[in-house]
Amino acid sequence: MTRLTGGLIDRSQSLSFTFDGTRYTGHPGDTLASALLANGVRLVGRSFKYHRPRGIVAAGSEEPNAMVTLREGARAEPNTRATMAELFDGLSARSQNHVGPLSFDMLAVNDLLSPFFAAGFYYKTFMWPRAFWEKLYEPAIRRAAGLGALSEQADPDAYDRGFLHCDLLIIGAGAAGLTAALTAGRAGARVVLADEDFRLGGRLMAESDLLDHAPATQWIASVEAELRALPNVRILPRTTVFGAYDHGIYGAVERVADHLPTPGTLVRQTLWRITAKRAVLAAGATERHIPFADNDRPGVMLAGAMRAYANRWATAPGTKGPVAIFTNNDDGHRTAVDLMAKGVPIAAVIDARARSEAQGDYRVIAGGMVTGTRGRLGLRSIAVQHSGGSESLSVGALGVSGGWNPNVHLASHHRGRPVWDEARLAFLPGQGGPGGLIAAGACAGQGSTVDALADGHRAAVQALADLGLTAPALALPHAHPRAENTAPIWHVPGKRRAWVDFQNDVTVKDIALAHQENMRPVEHLKRWTTLGMATDQGKTANVTALAVMAELTGKSIPQTGTTIFRPPYTGVSLGVLGGGDTGTNFRPRRLTPTHTWAKAQGAVFVEVGPWMRAQYFVRPGETYWRQSVDREVLAVRSGVGLCDVTTLGKIDVQGADAGLFLDRVYANAMASLKVGMVRYGLMLREDGTLYDDGTCARLAEDHYVVTTTTANAGPVYAQMEFARQCLWPDLDVQLISTTDAWAQIAVAGPKARALLERVVDGFDLSNEAFPFMACAPLTVCGGTRARLFRISFSGELAYELAVPARYGNALMARLMELGADLGATPYGTEALGVMRIEKGHAAGAELTGQTTAQMLGLGKMVSKKKDAIGAVMSRRGGLGDDSRRLVGLVPLDASHTVTPGAHLFTAGAHPSMDSDQGWVTSAAYSPHVGSSIGLAFLERGDERMGEVITAANPLQGQSVAVKVVSAHFVDPEGGRLRA
Amino acid sequence: MLDLIPLCALGATTPQEFRQGALTLTEMPETGLVSLTLQRGAARPALDLPEPGFWAAGAGHAAFWTGPGQWFIELPGRAQEDPIPFLAPQAPGCSLTEQTDGWVLFELQSSQGAEAIEAFLEHAVNLDLCKMGPGRATRSVIEHMGVYLLRRSDDRLAIWGMRSAAESLWHALTTLARRQSARG
Repeated sequence: MTRLTGGLIDRSQSLSFTFDGTRYTGHPGDTLASALLANGVRLVGRSFKYHRPRGIVAAGSEEPNAMVTLREGARAEPNTRATMAELFDGLSARSQNHVGPLSFDMLAVNDLLSPFFAAGFYYKTFMWPRAFWEKLYEPAIRRAAGLGALSEQADPDAYDRGFLHCDLLIIGAGAAGLTAALTAGRAGARVVLADEDFRLGGRLMAESDLLDHAPATQWIASVEAELRALPNVRILPRTTVFGAYDHGIYGAVERVADHLPTPGTLVRQTLWRITAKRAVLAAGATERHIPFADNDRPGVMLAGAMRAYANRWATAPGTKGPVAIFTNNDDGHRTAVDLMAKGVPIAAVIDARARSEAQGDYRVIAGGMVTGTRGRLGLRSIAVQHSGGSESLSVGALGVSGGWNPNVHLASHHRGRPVWDEARLAFLPGQGGPGGLIAAGACAGQGSTVDALADGHRAAVQALADLGLTAPALALPHAHPRAENTAPIWHVPGKRRAWVDFQNDVTVKDIALAHQENMRPVEHLKRWTTLGMATDQGKTANVTALAVMAELTGKSIPQTGTTIFRPPYTGVSLGVLGGGDTGTNFRPRRLTPTHTWAKAQGAVFVEVGPWMRAQYFVRPGETYWRQSVDREVLAVRSGVGLCDVTTLGKIDVQGADAGLFLDRVYANAMASLKVGMVRYGLMLREDGTLYDDGTCARLAEDHYVVTTTTANAGPVYAQMEFARQCLWPDLDVQLISTTDAWAQIAVAGPKARALLERVVDGFDLSNEAFPFMACAPLTVCGGTRARLFRISFSGELAYELAVPARYGNALMARLMELGADLGATPYGTEALGVMRIEKGHAAGAELTGQTTAQMLGLGKMVSKKKDAIGAVMSRRGGLGDDSRRLVGLVPLDASHTVTPGAHLFTAGAHPSMDSDQGWVTSAAYSPHVGSSIGLAFLERGDERMGEVITAANPLQGQSVAVKVVSAHFVDPEGGRLRA
Repeated sequence: MLDLIPLCALGATTPQEFRQGALTLTEMPETGLVSLTLQRGAARPALDLPEPGFWAAGAGHAAFWTGPGQWFIELPGRAQEDPIPFLAPQAPGCSLTEQTDGWVLFELQSSQGAEAIEAFLEHAVNLDLCKMGPGRATRSVIEHMGVYLLRRSDDRLAIWGMRSAAESLWHALTTLARRQSARG
């Protein structure tokens, strides 16, 4: 293990980890990348397309190469950047994208075949035969090209979310971020400071420059201590702000437990939604490289990353020989100076600029270029060309510095186009980005420590001024002034492949090919070559690619295009975006008041929207659902059945104008309804089609209770509130939902009255005193307040009894107990559905949003004596003329089945769209009829009773002869309801 | 004593309690709830009816604002009875609707003052905690479920949720409390 002196690692502790099964050690403070380098591991993966050996390039989230699969089993996570993986004891990592050992990848043959795999090759190559694409070509390409593979096991970890509101969000805790936080924190602003690193300090930790004549870590520690002591400052380390969204909302992921072997009782990650009045983007900058021939070998790194590994992680970049630096700016020399100070031998600094001076005791090759490399699995030597000719240098590593790209990503999330700065040779944040976001420090082009410290303060002062807060003066620490003096040297021309985008295996040649193929706009360039795609989104490649394309087109970089970014800044796991629970608690469930009882009775439940309703109750000996349902239906029709119908929406309507209001909401009249009575009502949409149906009960002159279908409980309430508040605010009407407040139990069947008489407290249930469609408040079971409605969905003598929800369970049990001798039977939604079909009552399958009242045979219910929502539109041409009507269907052969969704055709007609006569809306087996039955909308259905037609399902080759009958299979005269 | 035995919203005959770290969550089945809405042109009754975003405690009742001219009235200890006859004389010109069993009340108590309550809220609801100090009340959403949140005091938060979703809400709240405890 090779370690330099110093660094921010805890040498008193050792952490054991494995990479591709080999055991290594590191220290707290290490990343997987720094620990691998410290152990002399250079080869860490294979490239996307050509399976070229690859090593660590960067030291942060911009890493394009070192993608590994972290952890084992269900927790295995592919495509994790080794540079961002905090080392912990027991960490296990595997390399990706190779067949056989990493050092001898069979698919490296792709590299030999590279002439066939140029950009866009698969757009042209795999065109024929067409059928081969899905079954052969695509699977083969996916096998050969790609990154890691998913475990395909359920994620065992939990994720949560959180919400923060602040005056100022500061993104990045480097030099600029820290002075911004200190300024705003001292001003009393509510500050959230987020950084993707596990330590604060950003680039300051990677540099050897002193602050106030002391190591920068001392200044960082003092600032952090002050910020942590401020109650108005919230520090979020290990947190990546990945996107800027509307209204000052930022998305951030905190890696709560990714630095631990397992999360234990912690969540793995938290998704923070941060609402900030202002934000300072202090995201720093990413170094770019300079493409040259074979520049992708393990050992070729960004020079700034090399410096970071040496200074922060005490890791020598090259163990197989001295280090060379290839640069077009002064920052490259800084790396050489720092490495030398740590005792790392420097072979040379190859400076592409003609005029260059050494900043220490090392060789400078001014005006030089690196033109090639050697080393199969790692760098052994570089070829250098300079004014004196060419030479080969034996090196263990090469640091490349092509200047720095400000991390403008978040500033461009609202299509704020970055602006090219010719002096800095970089894109800077432009106008039109997220409102209230102020860029500061290196991401605003103020990359030197001196500038970044001052710019962070400036940005905070600006943000505070916007918020009406006064910023206190801030004494900035003294720092060493530096300049980059970057020269516009973007790549080294040559015949061999020079990689621009390491992650996607895109070379200068590919860009030239795109140019040749006229894929010149940057958007085309990206899609044609795949440049800037995948997990790193071109962090180290985009600007360089643009520059190369500019050179090819002969235009300037800003004329060629800009690079713009969308969220997320770095990859965000679907687990944390989904958050919340899985399985039963994946979404909220609503339980009926009798749920406990129903569960104990062996109910099988069905999801009805968020509700869990009893579908049917299985009795001993019943092995097939229809046995239970048929039994329940017959029990209701011959005795008495009980069904929890709480889920139907209930809306309490009060006020002097309640009747008038309901007249306008319902298509039929409600103001004329007598107190103590219930009426069936239809609501229309504004366009005149049916919206919802249900009953409306009048409890007092100024008090109604509206019931809605289960599905429309919320929407109808919302529509009525809209009507009350916006359409007719002059009416005296008060609305409130009471759906959950009352448990409502349907008591249906010829013995319903007999059963109810056993629970009501001295209430006269006789037909005379309480006729069909009556309603009344009463008490049951010795004083429990209740409401009784004599309404029927099944077509039988039926009531709905409502009690406060807490009594629902006990009431159901009591009814069952008292009704045992009457054959009291609980029934579920299946039996409910069968009976309403037998009775010809419409439900959701009939109310499709394209159904009119006329189609249900209820056209006359749309009153012409008053106006109501949708009434006028229901009479418009085309809608009012619709001649389809609700009918019943029975199969000619009782053993045949009427299939819901089947379309109807005149007997003998060829089934086609032109001959379509309607469709089957609902169907069920009717124990009452003794066969399958259906409801359907049929052209002129009301005139075709007795006609035999065809119900066809051409997709499945089904065709059944059915007879058109009345939709009322049970008691068409309605005698039972009124019994 | 009524003949029928009521069930609490969580499905048992006795209320549930959950303790985790600094937090105790308790199901409160004995608090009655009534919606009170001013009829058109009616004067405000002589009840303590707070402004939007607040709740207020009065004699034997508390109220929180739920909409223009509309409040929910909490009646501790009156969940078993019909609350309308009790309240109606005090609320002339108002439409009253019993809401007791439309909702479930959970009270969250912190043994570590405001800090634990606010840490809980931070992961539960998208609210600016500056506007959720003692005396404040608002409607919000926890895990897709609509709730009313009442900050009774620094260390106490009331959560009114849909009764039918009580089990899901309880699961969400206890999960939040467990995770908070794990964070330490």
